[in-house]
Amino acid sequence: MKRLIAIVEDEPAIRDNYAAAFTREGYGVRAYASRAEALKAFAARLPDLAVIDISLGDEPEGGFELCRQLRAQSAELPIIFLTARDSEIDAVSGLRLGADDFLTKDLSLPHLIARVNALFRRVDALRQPADDAAVIRRGALTLDTERMSAQWDGKVVLLSLTEFWIVHALARHPGHVRNRQQLMDAANVVLDDNTITSHIKRIRRKFQTIEAKFDALQTVYGMGYRWVE
Amino acid sequence: MSLRLKLLLLGLATLVLPWAGCRYAREMESALRQGESDSLQALSQTIATSLQGRTDLLYREAAPGTAAAPGAEGTAAAPPPEPDPNFYRATPYDLEPLTLKAAPVVDGYADDWPKDAHWSTFEKDEHHRFSILTGVHDRMLYVALAVHDEHPVFDAPGANLLDPNTFGDRVWLGFEDPAGQQSQVFLAAAAPGAVTARRIVTGDYGRQSTRLEPRIRGAWQGTPDGYRLELRVPLSMIGTAFGVLVDDRDARGALPVSYGTLRGDDLHTMGHLILAAPGLTAYLGQFLQPGLRLSVTTPAGRVLARADALAQPVELQRQLPVISRLYRRIIDRPEGQAPLVSSSPILDRDHGFEIGRLEVVHTPDRWIRLRDRALTHMLNFSLLTSLVVVSAILIFAASLAVRLSRLRRASESALVNRGLVSPFPEVRARDELGDVARSFATLLGRLHEYTSYLRTLAGKLAHEIRTPLTIVRSSLDNLESESVPESARAYLERARQGSERLSSILQAMGAAGRVEEAIGGAERIQFDLVPVLSSAVAAYRGAFPQRHFTFDSAAPSVTLNGAPDLIVQLLDKLIDNAVDFSAPASTIAVRLALDAHAARLEVENSGPPLPADSSRLFESLWQSRTGADSRPHFGLGLYIVRLIAEFHDGTVAAQNLPGDTGVRFTVRLPR
Repeated sequence: MKRLIAIVEDEPAIRDNYAAAFTREGYGVRAYASRAEALKAFAARLPDLAVIDISLGDEPEGGFELCRQLRAQSAELPIIFLTARDSEIDAVSGLRLGADDFLTKDLSLPHLIARVNALFRRVDALRQPADDAAVIRRGALTLDTERMSAQWDGKVVLLSLTEFWIVHALARHPGHVRNRQQLMDAANVVLDDNTITSHIKRIRRKFQTIEAKFDALQTVYGMGYRWVE
Repeated sequence: MSLRLKLLLLGLATLVLPWAGCRYAREMESALRQGESDSLQALSQTIATSLQGRTDLLYREAAPGTAAAPGAEGTAAAPPPEPDPNFYRATPYDLEPLTLKAAPVVDGYADDWPKDAHWSTFEKDEHHRFSILTGVHDRMLYVALAVHDEHPVFDAPGANLLDPNTFGDRVWLGFEDPAGQQSQVFLAAAAPGAVTARRIVTGDYGRQSTRLEPRIRGAWQGTPDGYRLELRVPLSMIGTAFGVLVDDRDARGALPVSYGTLRGDDLHTMGHLILAAPGLTAYLGQFLQPGLRLSVTTPAGRVLARADALAQPVELQRQLPVISRLYRRIIDRPEGQAPLVSSSPILDRDHGFEIGRLEVVHTPDRWIRLRDRALTHMLNFSLLTSLVVVSAILIFAASLAVRLSRLRRASESALVNRGLVSPFPEVRARDELGDVARSFATLLGRLHEYTSYLRTLAGKLAHEIRTPLTIVRSSLDNLESESVPESARAYLERARQGSERLSSILQAMGAAGRVEEAIGGAERIQFDLVPVLSSAVAAYRGAFPQRHFTFDSAAPSVTLNGAPDLIVQLLDKLIDNAVDFSAPASTIAVRLALDAHAARLEVENSGPPLPADSSRLFESLWQSRTGADSRPHFGLGLYIVRLIAEFHDGTVAAQNLPGDTGVRFTVRLPR
């Protein structure tokens, strides 16, 4: 059975392009132009994954509202935010609402599809017993690359997909410096320096809620970041 | 010249008021003085005219010839004969008796005469001279005679007074009696003490004898250098001429050396006894006023009578206020204080010649007081006016200057910093300055709106362009999956490259906005600047192999409170800039120096000097790049440097190195 992807996007050209790409990849696609339209459809049937634009028509933050309502219906449904605005506040708000990823619209379609695939993989992996071969352990850190979940001292750290890939890229080779470009490649995103910096900050903060003295993620000024055990 | 100074000078121009006042007061004084002088002249002429021909009022005895009339026939009808003009001509032999307040005792001693009286001296040679002082009291003429005589010789006692062999020193008195006849008496002493006067009388057959003149009394006393003779002669004996002759003998009976005011041969008088008529002073007194002095003099200028009220105060209040005296000191001219003098000749009846002069002296007190009062008031008023005007102008100027500088500061800060001072000063003022301020506020407000629009324009554009760009890119992505003929692949690839470039332009345009957001969300931590900088510089060596990088730190560890990420971003921008403007293989020096309260981060490159208006280097959307560059530039790099420096309470400056060998950017970060 085809997985169903819901695209909520007010810009018809983008909506249609995305729909075409997902259809080509073998996904079932439902496209909606507004929050009300989407909600009505979701009430009948939940998709397997939702790609939501933050600003919907005359609702500048209609995507956030939709995300909240969708999350109320399903805790596990993967949600990807898409926006023309790449500002910090949008990102923070979106992730706090429980989005699984947050992407700017100039992301290329292959990247987008890679993300969607990854998210489906994570969903699938969560439904299967854990496979130790896919687990990386670095001290207190445990990364399950299949489920794309991270644990610190046995406690789950809720990382978005981008964050997970950044941690994964760093922790795979502890001590090695990864520059921003490498991190972007690993996360399949195109981000500017400040966005990378804020991603790193957010990752640190997430770990620090578990252990206040967390300092395994270090900045090498002018070069990039590294994971230290 | 500041506005304040200009207005002050303008205010000082009001000092022309007191100055003009002084000028006016002087003019007024001159006019007063002239008027006073004229009236004084009129007064003196009136008095002189009243005295015209009245020799009897002037002189004690009328001049020779006038008093001689009663002897002739036809008494009252005949006009008095003309007086002798020569009488009024001064001779060296004239005697002017003092008016004595008390009669001196005729004892040969001069100590009861006025001490300061002027003795007239008659001198033949250095061995023969005498001094004489005459005085009048109660119709008596007193004479004091001090004779210099190395060898005083007395007459032989009891001798025949006419025997020349017995003659000692003798003193002759010659005078013109009231009838005009010359007569002489001599005084000879046989011993100090009282002496008597004698006349030589020629009797029948020319026989001569001496006759005592009892009305004349005298006393003879020796002095260290001669002798002194004191005499008393009733004025009734004397007409208008009087003289003294000394016969000085060195031995009894010797030939005398004669000298004095009598002619040697006939013992006639040569000089006059100048004596005012008794009523003259009283006559003058009727014209007298306070502040006036009236004098009648002989034509030669000898004072006959004087009525003096000069010293009498014109007004009771003599003391002037201090301020008036001060003004007087400033504006008085020396001649202003001199008394006014006016004199008129007193002529004889036929205007033929002068018989005397009348002199009127007036002290300047009166018009000085008049002037002073006017002047004091005027100066007080005008100085007060000046003071008020000057202080008003000063206050006005000060407030104007304060307002102007407030306006200037506000507009400068509105230009330099990001934002208009609110409320903009002076906009409520209703004067022209208020108009200027309002225009400024409007202008600066528009400018501010414009610049903030420009500043956000890039971000807005980036946002707005992103959606169509996404359409283009996703369409291209979809197109890749379609069966595109091989010939069209190249176009597809070009379209993709173009959209990539468009995307990177969008990145650059949004950079400042993202930095501002990053700053807004940045957290300050305590960190060591040195390892941050050195690792960053190490990274630049890898990133820009075409340049040499050096890093020096003044201290091994410099702790700063701030955001290390932002500091690195700041350095990134400075290094980007340095790399862009320097030649390959040149050196870019990064230095960390320490001031008292700040760390100083310096980046030097050997590129071309800064443009002339380098103060705008750190403004948003400003750039002086001229060369073509493949990368998009929006003049945001150094603006980001400034934003980050300001986030750290620091400043950023750029300067040319000495000799234009390069450019140095300095970021001061307070510790």
